[in-house]
Amino acid sequence: MLKKELILQNPLRFMGHGTDDILSEGGFGAVLARAGVGKTALLVQLALNNLLRNKNVLHISLDDPVKKVSLWYKEVFRHLTKSYDVKKINQLWEALLPHRFIMTFKVEGFSVPKLEERLTDLKEQNIFLPQVVFIDGFPFNETVRMPLSDFKDLAKNHSLHVWFTVRTRRHEKPGPDGMPAPLLDVIDLFDVVIQLQPEGKEIHVKTLKGGPADFEHTALLLDPSTMLITNNQKPA
Amino acid sequence: MNNAKMENATHKVRNIGISAHIDSGKTTLTERILFFTKRIHAIHDVKGKDGVGATMDSMELEKERGITIASAATYCEWLDHEINIIDTPGHVDFTIEVERSLRVLDGAIFVLCSVGGVQSQSITVDQQMKRYKVPCIAFINKCDRIGASPFRVIDQLKDKLGHNAVSMQIPVGLEADLKGVVDLVTMKAIYFDGVNGEDLRIEDIPQNLLSEAMERREELVDAASMFSDELTEAILEEQEVTEDMIIAAIRQGTLTCKMTPVFMGSAYKNKGVQPLLDAVINLLPCPSDVENEAIDMDNDSVPVILSSESEKPVVALAFKLEDGQYGQLTYIRVYQGSISKGDTIVNVRNGKKIKVGRVVRMHAEQMEDIETIPAGYIGALFGIDCASGDTFVATGVNLTMTSIFVPDPVISLSIVPSDNKSQINMSKALRRFSKEDPTFRTYVDDETKETIIEGMGELHLEVYVERMRREYTAKVAIGQPRVAYRETITQKAEFNYIHKKQTGGAGQFGRVAGYIEPVTDADFVFENKIVGGKIPTRFIASCEKGFRQSMDKGPKMKFPVTGVKVVINDGASHSVDSSEMAFQTAALGAFREGYLKAKPVILEPIMKVVVETPTEFLGAVMGLLNQRRGTIVGSQEEGPLCVIEAQAPLSEMFGFSTVLRSSTQGKALFTMEFGSYKQVPQSVAEELVKKAN
Repeated sequence: MLKKELILQNPLRFMGHGTDDILSEGGFGAVLARAGVGKTALLVQLALNNLLRNKNVLHISLDDPVKKVSLWYKEVFRHLTKSYDVKKINQLWEALLPHRFIMTFKVEGFSVPKLEERLTDLKEQNIFLPQVVFIDGFPFNETVRMPLSDFKDLAKNHSLHVWFTVRTRRHEKPGPDGMPAPLLDVIDLFDVVIQLQPEGKEIHVKTLKGGPADFEHTALLLDPSTMLITNNQKPA
Repeated sequence: MNNAKMENATHKVRNIGISAHIDSGKTTLTERILFFTKRIHAIHDVKGKDGVGATMDSMELEKERGITIASAATYCEWLDHEINIIDTPGHVDFTIEVERSLRVLDGAIFVLCSVGGVQSQSITVDQQMKRYKVPCIAFINKCDRIGASPFRVIDQLKDKLGHNAVSMQIPVGLEADLKGVVDLVTMKAIYFDGVNGEDLRIEDIPQNLLSEAMERREELVDAASMFSDELTEAILEEQEVTEDMIIAAIRQGTLTCKMTPVFMGSAYKNKGVQPLLDAVINLLPCPSDVENEAIDMDNDSVPVILSSESEKPVVALAFKLEDGQYGQLTYIRVYQGSISKGDTIVNVRNGKKIKVGRVVRMHAEQMEDIETIPAGYIGALFGIDCASGDTFVATGVNLTMTSIFVPDPVISLSIVPSDNKSQINMSKALRRFSKEDPTFRTYVDDETKETIIEGMGELHLEVYVERMRREYTAKVAIGQPRVAYRETITQKAEFNYIHKKQTGGAGQFGRVAGYIEPVTDADFVFENKIVGGKIPTRFIASCEKGFRQSMDKGPKMKFPVTGVKVVINDGASHSVDSSEMAFQTAALGAFREGYLKAKPVILEPIMKVVVETPTEFLGAVMGLLNQRRGTIVGSQEEGPLCVIEAQAPLSEMFGFSTVLRSSTQGKALFTMEFGSYKQVPQSVAEELVKKAN
């Protein structure tokens, strides 16, 4: 029951996506925002939703150590479940953990071949078979196209859905279609792009690519205290 | 004995550890340091012919296993500075011991062998220092040995351990030709003359080493400039680069653990020790360079930064106990305020007030009386009854240096002494060990009458058994290690139990009804909801006693029960036959009745396992953990090493160190600590039931 109720709180559902699997196999999704706005929190929410649906989640962080990433999951999960019975929550949390694997790398030490090597290790020994990958801190610089294309091949070969966080900067001008600078050269590789935009005291969640056509995107808000997407939609 | 008083000038104090791989010459180096600082007047070799042995080398087992188990502290003076040398345990498993000794030192000398280089235990030692953010300088020892290659070791420090290692010296000659070193800061050659190398001869750099020295100096200055704007400016503006500028910059780099200055020589041949001592003074932190925290027990365990001023209320940590001929000697480090003869201090753990008697300063096995131990200093107190890890404070202060929480032991062993003498010695040893280490416990099993020792891991207990044999000459046989399983219930269940006995004499009658349910945040909760005196008030305590007694041995597997709430809401009594005993027995029956209906399960200790391995063995290590019912939380790549965090049941981890060693060519290390209790899988539970029957 608890699991079902939590699945209904899936942020993507709030964003108007009818089905949860909005990415195809090998598909890329991106969560964009400036530093400190809540990219990781949203990413972890998306990851938790996958865990609740019994998907194996590989979380790769290029910024934070394993302990900190674990803490993110604990915190977001705690916020999501705060109104439920503690015992049930604990049981559910224990049940989710075996479906999550965290890998952290130093940014300079990360490469697609290295990741492939790790994935092969995990698969060959039947330790962990990821279905969805979340990458936090991947550097979207001017040379990103090549590694990202390699990543695409890897994702297709391993039937993975991949979500990235993309850091935007205030001084970078967006493209003519409003697409933020870091994605300009690689937007064709992405199926879904979601941007977190601080406006006054609120953080608005906007779908820049891949959202349902009839969705009123300005209605969605990220609660800055819990960093969860809230469902208090404004009238269109 | 000299009745000295410690000067309170903390900038003139260095509390250091000497960390090293076994056989890299740590004991010899310590011995030479004590000789050159005139604390000892003759040099004894480690494997000496004079039968005296090295001064610091007090535990045989330590050498054999390559681990330092007990830490001693010794004091010496150099260049008008006081140096306290704290012996550091080199094994990651003794968490409490490691934590304590790394806590009391402010900096370290990292000794490496110029032939062996960075070996697996150097990696352990390095990891410990990094974990506790201990600034260090490196000393490449044994440069007189065949195959000595100090610069290869520096490369290994960089590649294998990720240190920003920078050479401070180059050797003058190597192997049998080792004559001295070239100091790259002063650009002078230093030779060590005299019988024991005590006379320093300073000369110009030999012509054949000049270009290498210039090149290495440039590297050194370049690396140092990262930590000093003044030095960078001087270089850029081509002004004079002074020795002070370089030293200040290197010190800055060292204190922030971003640079490791490397010295070299041969302690055995008395070469390079004095410049190393200079470096301890010039480059390693004094107590006030390091921020120390205590926990405020009156204020929600908030961390408080301690001030090294002697006028403030005293806060001190007992980090080591030793049994001497005059009673217990307690090594302490004072973090704030000062401790003087005649002072009254309070042991935070039990609130006991203690009057300070003799205050001494230790030099390995000898001691000298002093008046005061000011903040930042290390000393020892006599005749104080306390446990290792206790915090002493001034009256009215409630700060503690260590967390009060001590985890429950997760593993136990039975030990049986072979004869009467061993029995007496074993008891002595057990008393001492449990005082030194709160995670080590001992009791006598009621049923088997065996002595049981409990601790935090396999190795933890093994070492104590070994110490018992060696230090106390207690011959003991040990049983198989046993995991501390627990039982709990998973659902609410009702009970309604009548205890009735009327077989002549006084009868017994009591009825107890209510329910039991799981509770997450306590071991046992008892609630009385009886109304209308159905169970007379005077018997309620007996009911609770009965239920509490039931928790000791669960009806399912006889393991201790945890996480149960008992509520009684009905019952009956008899005016003549009811008694305290009758209700206690009724409660035992009621518990059993409810318990078996409440779907009891077995819980097992799950350990937090952290394996540090070179990246090439990552796959193999993850496989090993997976085979042991381990859940891998994540892997973290840190340069050439990779850290795997996992959770695994203790029962599966016996012998893991051997398997890990053989799968990784001895290059991986692991630490294991208790995490939580979790339900055992059905198949394992069935196995346990089968074994028990």
